[in-house]
Amino acid sequence: MQMNRWRADAQALLFLLPFLVVYVVFTIWPMIKGLEMSFYKWTLIKKMKYVGLDNYNQMLQDTAFWSAVWHSLLFVILSTPAMIVLAIVLALIANRRSRLQKFYRSVFFLPSILSVAVASFLGLFIFQPYTGLLNTLLHLIGLLPDNKEIFWLNETNLAWIAVTLLTLWWTVGFNFILYLSAMQDIPEDVYEAARLDGANDSQIFWRITLPMLSGITKTITMLQIIASFKVFLQIYIMTGGGPLDQTRPIIQYIWQTGFRENNLGYASAMSYMLFVILLVLSAFQYWLNNRKGA
Amino acid sequence: MKRRFGFLVAAVLVLSMMLSACSGGNSNNGGANEAANGGSENNGAPAAGEKITLSYWTLFSGGDGENMDALIAEFNKTHPNIEIKNTKLEWAEYYTKLITAVGNGNGPDIGISHVTGLDDVADAAGVDWGTYNENLLNATVVDGKHYAVPIDTHPLIMYYNKKLLRDAGLLGEDGKPVLEQSADGFTTFLSTLKEKLPSSVTPFAFESKDQDPYRLWWSLYKQQGGNDVISEDQKSAEIDADKAAKAAGYIQDLYVKGFIKKNDPDFYKTFQSGAGAITMTGVWATGTWESTKGLEFGAMPIPKIFDQEATWGDSHTIVLPVTKDEDPAKRQAALTFANWVADNGQIWAKAGHIPSKPAVIEKQEFKDMPYRSDYVAVADTVAFGNPSTKSWQIRDLAIVKYLNEVWANKMTPADAIAKMQPEIQKVIDQ
Repeated sequence: MQMNRWRADAQALLFLLPFLVVYVVFTIWPMIKGLEMSFYKWTLIKKMKYVGLDNYNQMLQDTAFWSAVWHSLLFVILSTPAMIVLAIVLALIANRRSRLQKFYRSVFFLPSILSVAVASFLGLFIFQPYTGLLNTLLHLIGLLPDNKEIFWLNETNLAWIAVTLLTLWWTVGFNFILYLSAMQDIPEDVYEAARLDGANDSQIFWRITLPMLSGITKTITMLQIIASFKVFLQIYIMTGGGPLDQTRPIIQYIWQTGFRENNLGYASAMSYMLFVILLVLSAFQYWLNNRKGA
Repeated sequence: MKRRFGFLVAAVLVLSMMLSACSGGNSNNGGANEAANGGSENNGAPAAGEKITLSYWTLFSGGDGENMDALIAEFNKTHPNIEIKNTKLEWAEYYTKLITAVGNGNGPDIGISHVTGLDDVADAAGVDWGTYNENLLNATVVDGKHYAVPIDTHPLIMYYNKKLLRDAGLLGEDGKPVLEQSADGFTTFLSTLKEKLPSSVTPFAFESKDQDPYRLWWSLYKQQGGNDVISEDQKSAEIDADKAAKAAGYIQDLYVKGFIKKNDPDFYKTFQSGAGAITMTGVWATGTWESTKGLEFGAMPIPKIFDQEATWGDSHTIVLPVTKDEDPAKRQAALTFANWVADNGQIWAKAGHIPSKPAVIEKQEFKDMPYRSDYVAVADTVAFGNPSTKSWQIRDLAIVKYLNEVWANKMTPADAIAKMQPEIQKVIDQ
């Protein structure tokens, strides 16, 4: 009996091995290497010299680092609640019994299949002045006078709105699918009982649907916060982090430091700081969820 | 227990996702050149019949890519002893890959950047430095040693739409713009265009941020005799604040006065479609304009706005990165190739580049191509920056960022220059 289990484990390991090797070589090993790098002055070419905690010290005093962290956080604040509300609304629409049910499902999910580069370039075409979709629409309905243009990507506040809207459109599909499947898991008899008791639609939504979704909401919130914190490419493509680095997120700053300024040591130190920030956020959330669950 | 494990997985996921975002370019990209080298382990010239294979990393795409392919094919045909193998890389990742590969000794035999000295093999390969344009060559010499073979220069020049200039009465009998070479002269030229042409036409089709306005700023800064933005020893920022601010102020005015369409998403298209009277960009646009149906255009050096003629420009240079084996026969063959490419600059010039050897400019094949001869003289007045391993970091991270604010009229030229100085210093100190 014992022997059989051991055999089963060995078999499982055999099947896991290919993935495990790749995972160790390309994920675990770079993680350890990154930690080592963060204590050195380390260029793209080679290890230069041991500097102890210098990189971390520099980071604490680097205003560019903290403002980049703030920009990522700002994006989390802008995108996460909007993402969740929109996903629920879309899921409610697609969950209604309707002939268009299948249509809704595919349309809401479709943008998610685009790669970040494609989505961001569409974003550029939507928000660019003179010929962009949005400004053209605003001209058409007369909200914007003919001789005026809104420079969405050149003003800090507008650029944040543009990037957030683009990200919403692009990635809400994933959360939408999660919500939709959770909604379909809610047993029909609960609704039936509620209706028999005379509950109206809004009561049903607030008292039944929403509470029954709380589990998935917690998961989505956590995933979304992490995903939003890691925002990079859509901002990089649409605004380049400008104007004056006012929309530059932390990942872009790390990438610039490592691969543009040739300073992998400092970039690694910042990566680890970001790791700690995300770890603390996730731990806090985990604790919050568990406390409520108990 | 299960939940605890779930948290651990989440933690590892967070970490690994971040790292994959930041460590992408660190993998080993070399190795391509480990391939056969026909047995010339010993130094000296290859014996007859022995073939040397050289790996060559290029970053050219589009028209440049095709022209370089044509050059390589022709070279391989005419040099039976040497075979060049071209590996095309994306421009955006080229330098990162080259730096990493050279760093661990797996770089290509031939590349495009500043890496190693050439003088020791130049004689053997029959390279006569005297046949190169002196101004271009000087930009590749550090401490009296040659570090690269320039194959061209691609400066900022001015293009004009002949039809629109004629409509505005600003095209002379000789087909050249009627334009006084001075600060006021150029402004007057633009305001006449603005008055005389329909409002749908932009007098000056130009970018509102980043590289091309930076190039114009650098040109105007150098036209006043501004010194380099970093000192000779590369230790300190020493931008000439007055001249830099004057140049930036002049360009800011062009935006403020409405000569340039604000935040034009595609000024190439504006000029191409006949909606822009003049434009300024690198010579590489010549090939693009030529292939545009119905665009009647001319090319000229950018006007002398201030005291002396000067313009921004860069060179494509061929270099021989340090490799593990340092095989002299390979080095010599590589340099033979570089010199041959420069000698046959007329093929490379199809895209619009100015050849690096004056003799090429005299070739009939080159003269037969229109437009190019109108701006070849610019090669002598290109103002290069001091060679520095950080030149583009200084440009993109410290200078362009603030100039963009000036163009958007959110910062005064003087403020922007004052902010640049410490930022440049910061890049240098890192």
